Amino acid sequence: MLTTNRRDFLKSSMVACGLTVPSFLSKTANALQVAGTPGARDTILVVVQLTGGNDGLNTVIPFTDEEYPRLRPTLRIARDQVRRLNDTLGLHPAMEGMAGLLQDNALCVVQGVGYPNPSQSHFRSMDIWQAASTADTLNEGWLGKALRSMNAPAFHIAAGNESAPLAYSGAPARVPSITSLDDFQLRTAGAGDADTRRQREIITGLAQPGGTGTPNPANLLDFVQRTAQNTYQSSQRLQEIGRNYTPRVPYPQTGLANRLRLVAQLINAELGARLFYVSIDGFDTHANQAASHGNLLGEVSGAITAFYRDLAARGHANRLLIMTFSEFGRRARENGSRGTDHGSGAPMFLVGGRVRAGVIGEHPSLTQLDAGNLRHHTDFRQVYAAILDQWLGVPSREVLGQAYEPVSILARR
Amino acid sequence: MPDIDPRWAWERYRPNAEQPWNLQRAGHLLRRATFGPTWEQLQRAVNEGVDRTVDRLLAGEGDLRAFEAQTEPLARSIATANNGQQLPAWWLYRMLYSPHPLREKMTLCWHNHFATSNTKVQNARFMLGMYQTLYANALGRFDVMLQAISHDPAMMVWLDTFGSQRGQANENYARELMELFSLGIGNYTERDIREAARAFTGWELRGNEPFFNPAQHDDGEKTVLGQTGRFRSADIVRICLEQPACPRFIAGKLFRFLVSETITPTPELLAPLADDLRRNQFDIRRVVETILRSNLFHSPQAYRTRIKAPVDFVLTIVRGLEGRIGTLALATALESLGQNLFYPPSVKGWDGGPTWLNGQTLLFRQNLALALTSTTDNRFGRRTDPAQLLARHLPANPTDEQIVDFYLQLFLQADVPAASRQRLIEYLRQARQQRPPVYWTADDAANHRIRAVCHLVLTQPEFQLD
Repeated sequence: MLTTNRRDFLKSSMVACGLTVPSFLSKTANALQVAGTPGARDTILVVVQLTGGNDGLNTVIPFTDEEYPRLRPTLRIARDQVRRLNDTLGLHPAMEGMAGLLQDNALCVVQGVGYPNPSQSHFRSMDIWQAASTADTLNEGWLGKALRSMNAPAFHIAAGNESAPLAYSGAPARVPSITSLDDFQLRTAGAGDADTRRQREIITGLAQPGGTGTPNPANLLDFVQRTAQNTYQSSQRLQEIGRNYTPRVPYPQTGLANRLRLVAQLINAELGARLFYVSIDGFDTHANQAASHGNLLGEVSGAITAFYRDLAARGHANRLLIMTFSEFGRRARENGSRGTDHGSGAPMFLVGGRVRAGVIGEHPSLTQLDAGNLRHHTDFRQVYAAILDQWLGVPSREVLGQAYEPVSILARR
Repeated sequence: MPDIDPRWAWERYRPNAEQPWNLQRAGHLLRRATFGPTWEQLQRAVNEGVDRTVDRLLAGEGDLRAFEAQTEPLARSIATANNGQQLPAWWLYRMLYSPHPLREKMTLCWHNHFATSNTKVQNARFMLGMYQTLYANALGRFDVMLQAISHDPAMMVWLDTFGSQRGQANENYARELMELFSLGIGNYTERDIREAARAFTGWELRGNEPFFNPAQHDDGEKTVLGQTGRFRSADIVRICLEQPACPRFIAGKLFRFLVSETITPTPELLAPLADDLRRNQFDIRRVVETILRSNLFHSPQAYRTRIKAPVDFVLTIVRGLEGRIGTLALATALESLGQNLFYPPSVKGWDGGPTWLNGQTLLFRQNLALALTSTTDNRFGRRTDPAQLLARHLPANPTDEQIVDFYLQLFLQADVPAASRQRLIEYLRQARQQRPPVYWTADDAANHRIRAVCHLVLTQPEFQLD
C-alpha cells in the first residue's frame, strides 16, 4: 500500500504548484484521493496472455494419474521431476519460481477452466477469451468495458509485431501500446525551440477529433485522430517519469521479463494505472514440444516471479494481481510429431499478495474426454467475475452481460 | 449504411460530372494497386484516364526480365547463406523498383493469406521458394496456388505436415487449410479437420524437396465435407476448392485487400466476384481487373477506407520522395511499425485495419516520417530529401503556398480541410521570420523549412489512410 507520506507529498506538491501542476501528477493525486476513501480501490490487474494454446496437461501435471503416461508416451514429465503443488499435482519442472510463490502463499491455480462448445480455432477462441463472450461478432473486450467504470489509465506493453489486444477495445479512450519509454515519444527536428514548439503544435493540433465518445473504427479518420490525440497525451505524461528504474530483485533476460519490468516501472511511477496487459507467444506446440514448452514455461515463471517479488519488495504485494490465460489447452493424447494438437480445458494462474493460495478445483479427468479433449468444469468468466467484482470493484454483470458464480480466488481478509 | 447494389458496384466506372476522374481518384487507384506513385506517375494517371491506367497496372511496364535478373543473384546468396534477416530487405527492394508493382502487391496479399513466418521455418531458401510460388500465381489461378502451397516446403515446416504419420496425424495444416486458406470458420467441422489430417500423412522433406512416403500414409477411407474416399492430400484441397464457401471466402479477402476494410460486404455484393472465380478456374487477374475498374472501387464509399499498412506507409514516402535508399534499414524500421515481411505474427497474418495503429506504432510512424524527411538520420542519409525533390519539380524560390500545395498534392492529393492547409502555410510564414542558427546559410534555412513542412504533411491523420 502507498504510504500516507507519499500521498500527502503529492497533495501538497499540487497545492504548491498551483495551476501549473503536470497533468500526470494531478491524475495521480486524484487516483490516490479516491483510493483513500472507503470502498474505493487502487488495486492493479496484470494480464499475462499465453498465445498459441498452452498445454495445460504438461503445466499442472496429475503425476499420480496412471492414464497420464499412457496419453503422453514421449512428452510425459517424470514423477520425480515435477514441482509438487500437493500429493497428486505438480508444476512443470521449469516453473521453479512459481512453485516458490506457492510457499509464499502468493500463487493460486484454477484447474479445468474453459467454456461450453469450445472453439479450437486459435483466433476465434482468443477473441472469446478477450471479449468474454461467445457471440458471433466480437468487437469489445472485457477490460475495455471494465475501463468504462474505472476511470483509470491502462497500458498494453507490446512485444514487436504485436497489435493492441481486443481485450481493451471499447474503452472510453484508446489504451496505448508501448514497447519502450524511449520509443514512446514524438520526435521533431526544429531549428530552435520556437520552431520545435510550432511543429509539435501542428502535429498534435491536427489530431484533435471532431466528436466525443468512444472511437468508432468504422470512421477511420476519426479513429486515427483519437488514437493520435490519446497517444500524444500519454507520451507527454510518460516523458515526465523517471528514466531509470532499479528493480529490487533481478529480472531474467527474457522478452516477457522485460515487458513486466516496464510494467513495474509504470506502477512504481504512480500514474494511477490499474490495468496492464502483456503477452508471450509460441505455445502452439504441434511438433517437438518438449524443449520449446519447457523454455516458454520457464520464461513465464521466471518473469512473473521476479515481477511479483520486485513489487512486493516495494510494498505493492497486496494491490497486485497477475492473471495468466491461454486461448485453449491441448489434446490429451500427444500426436505423432512429439507435439500436441488443439484442445480445450486448461488451468489459469493467479499471483498476488491476496490470492487464495493453493489449487482450486479438480484436475479434469484423463479418461472422460470430449473427443479427446479435457473437459472444463469452470467457466473462465467465473474467474473474470471474481476479478471484476472482488478485485477491481467493477460490477461484473455490466461487463459479462450476465451473472457468473465467482470462483473464490481471493483470500478472506 | 444502406446495402450496396451489387450490379452497380461491379459495373465499369465511367467518369462523369459527378464522379470525375481527377487527382484524388488517380491517387486512390495508385495507392491501392501499387506502393505509392511518384509525382510523374500521378500526373500521367490523371492525364491518361482510368482505363489506360488500369491497363498499365495489369500489364506492368518496363523490362520485367531484366529486373528479375537483377534481384535473382541476391536471392541466391540469401538462400545459400540462409540469411533470414535479408529476406524482408530483398522483397522491399522489389516492391520499390519492380516494373510490375501490382503483381508485387498481390504477392503481398497472398503472403498475408498464406501467412508463414521464418521464425519457425528458419530456412531462407524455403521462404524464397514460397515467395516464388505466390509471385508466380499472384495474378494467376488460386486453385493452382492452393495445391502448390499444400506441398510447399516452407508451409510443410510451418504447419507441421512434414513427418506427420498415419495413426498419429498432425492436425495443424488440415485446420488452417480450412479455417484460413480456403473456407473460413463455420464452413467445416472438427471432424472434417481430423479426417483431412489423415490424408496429409506420409509427407516428408528429403533433400529440401517434398517427398511422399506411402509407408507413413494413412490410405484408409476418409469422410471430408460430405465426400468419402481413400483421399490423399490433393483430394482434400480439391474438395475444399469445390465448396461454395471457397470462392466466397477468397472474394472476401480480395475485397478487403483492394476495396475497403470498413465495409462489411454482404453475400450478395460478393456473389458476382465469387461466381466469376468459380466459373473461371479461380482466375485472380479477372477479379482484380473487375475490382479496379468498378464503380464501387472508385466511389466515395471505398475512398480512404483502409489504414495504410506499414509497407504502404513507408514505401509511399520513399517512392514519393524519389529516394534510392538501402532497404535493410527500411526493413528494420518496418519491423517496429509491426510488419516484418516473411515474419508475420501468426498463421492468420496481419489483422490490418485499425489494429495497425496503436500508440506505439503511431509514434514510430511519425518518427520514421521525420527520419526520412529530415536528412539528419544516419540510417537513411540525405537520399530521400524533400528539398531536392522540390527543386526538381518546382521553379526556383517557390512561394509558401506552392511548397505546401506540392506536398499536399503528392501525398494527399490535396484532399485535406482548408484549415489544415492554412496551418501549414502559416507555419512556413512564421518559420521564415525566425532567426536560423548562425552557421546556416539562407539555403540551409530554406531547405530546412521545406523538409519540416513535408514532415508535417506526412503527420496529417489523413495520411494514415489509404
